[in-house]
Amino acid sequence: MKKLRIGMISFAHGHAFSYFNSLHALPEVEVTGIADSVPSRVENLVRAHQLSYYEDYRQLLDTDIDAVVICSENVYHAEITIEAARRGKHVLCEKPLGITKESMEDMIAACRDNNVQLMTAFPCRYLAAVIQAKKAVERGEIGDIIAIKGTNRGSFPGGWFVEPELSGGGALLDHTVHVMDLMNWIIGSAVKEVYAYAAPLFQENIEVEDAGMIHVKFASGVFGVLDTSWSRNGTFPTWGDVTMEIVGTKGVISVDGFAQKNELYSKVNGKGTWEFWGDNMDAYMIQDFVDAILSGEPVPISGEDGLHSANVALAGYQSLKQGQPVQL
Amino acid sequence: MKVAVLGCGGLGRIHASIYAGMQDVELTGVCDIQQDLADDAARMTGAVAYSSFEEMLEKAEFDVISIALPSYLHKEYTMHAAKAGKHVISEKPIALNLEDAEQMIRCCEENGVRLFVGHVVRFFPDYVNMKQSLDEGKLGRACVAHASRIGGHPGATKAWYNEVEQSGGVMVDLMIHDLDFLRWSLGEVKTVYGLNRREELLDYALVTLQFESGAVANVEANWGFPGQFQTKSEIAGSEGIVMANSLKSSSLQIHKAPSASETSAFVTVPESPGFQSPYELELLHFIDCIRTGSESIVTARDAYKALELALAAIESARTGRAIYLPLVQR
Repeated sequence: MKKLRIGMISFAHGHAFSYFNSLHALPEVEVTGIADSVPSRVENLVRAHQLSYYEDYRQLLDTDIDAVVICSENVYHAEITIEAARRGKHVLCEKPLGITKESMEDMIAACRDNNVQLMTAFPCRYLAAVIQAKKAVERGEIGDIIAIKGTNRGSFPGGWFVEPELSGGGALLDHTVHVMDLMNWIIGSAVKEVYAYAAPLFQENIEVEDAGMIHVKFASGVFGVLDTSWSRNGTFPTWGDVTMEIVGTKGVISVDGFAQKNELYSKVNGKGTWEFWGDNMDAYMIQDFVDAILSGEPVPISGEDGLHSANVALAGYQSLKQGQPVQL
Repeated sequence: MKVAVLGCGGLGRIHASIYAGMQDVELTGVCDIQQDLADDAARMTGAVAYSSFEEMLEKAEFDVISIALPSYLHKEYTMHAAKAGKHVISEKPIALNLEDAEQMIRCCEENGVRLFVGHVVRFFPDYVNMKQSLDEGKLGRACVAHASRIGGHPGATKAWYNEVEQSGGVMVDLMIHDLDFLRWSLGEVKTVYGLNRREELLDYALVTLQFESGAVANVEANWGFPGQFQTKSEIAGSEGIVMANSLKSSSLQIHKAPSASETSAFVTVPESPGFQSPYELELLHFIDCIRTGSESIVTARDAYKALELALAAIESARTGRAIYLPLVQR
């Protein structure tokens, strides 16, 4: 069996560890090496799995790999993706795909021109409840969709996430894209108008917003709202949530993506916690990426999908400046 | 103190039965243009039934009137009662437009009577507890809040709810509870943005409030939810989060095997009983305010401001623009 040879570029975003574990578990995949300009982030992993390590990601791209997984700081997604495409490597890129519309278009064009595939990492499409909700919508179980109220709340991430020159934005950019992608996917219509509010509210003295509320109108007439705030503090029993109330003319579908949990009250943890026991969405996403690349089929979540969602967040910043809705 | 009740539908009956059980309060009259409703309420409470307000005003002795009429009648009967020197306890919303609300407040002031509006959520223990957590500093600065209130369409059983000119629709009639609660808890509102879709027996709205403090809240209301009526609310602050959920606080659930005539498999009725209902706490408070002359937990001006938020949300939904307060009415 031909193995898919994958290199991982940057572990700046912590999701890289989960993606590595998912890749490592697949017999048809060989993770050959890791590139990270900060060796301390990956030295344990490199040692434990006897991987090649590269300080400069270009050295990794020079090797005989088929694809890369990019989990760098947001601002480097475009540069690394375009460089990988030029060397003929398929790309799975962490969200948000980019921090400007132009750079994301460049990423998509570079991959197209070099005949490699670009996939945006939107693992929430691999929550079983989300998939079942989409099927129920398609079966017409709640009539025509009117609106979606979503939340993708999280904990304050700190680090480069709150340095605008590395992240490109705060909670509005970071947490609009997942559920906005789900909304796009379920509704199947394009966002035409965006109204957003965002501000640093929870933390003091930070340069990016940690609270966000973004509203969209789709061409089909459906409207939506999404809370993107990093509002979960350390005493909360879990990191955050992914929820949607999908409201139709004949009913409502409630999705709580991480409701499959046990309540744990342990002195070892120092507080009550919610222990998630549902399926590992990252593993299913990684499997789908690998299958698509190996079979030569189109990846399930495209660069365009990544652009559409990130572009809504970027329009949100425009709306914030104007204090009124903006057209896309 | 002598009290009468005008309007003997669902809420009127609740008001009447609470007054009938109150110490030092005498329910002297219950009135509804539907004689059978008035008779029912009279049988239940021992008060005298009337089918005309004029007749009750003439024949019954009372100091206070509870008005539980359809919303479009609140102004007319509040002003009528105020001019007759009666204190008024009106169901929410205070009125359907700000001009009417202002006239009602002025009229009551000019006639030396009190005006109270039944924003009963301020007397629901779960909501009072949320505000207490905030006031005690356990949440730090309030940052992002949510509120949700969803249930069936009342127009399915009472036609006037289907007429926007009579009920105001879901934002003015139902969401106004949460708009008032959030303004009570988080302070004055700077901007309002509303999204709304209305169809037959369906009225769904999402409204976002930005507060003077910088905090933000999103409020959901649904007339047309095919399930049990339910409310949820959350305030996330810099130091803490408080969440309320009516479905998760049912302290009593009665599960019944189906009777032979019923087609459904089982029946479960969740309840959250207390020794005093929020309506009882509310009416006791209003009566106490009248007795002592003290300021109410929710004033007529608060009711005006809650209506302003609901109307701003409607205006935003209509124009697609964020509305900056104060609202300038068309």
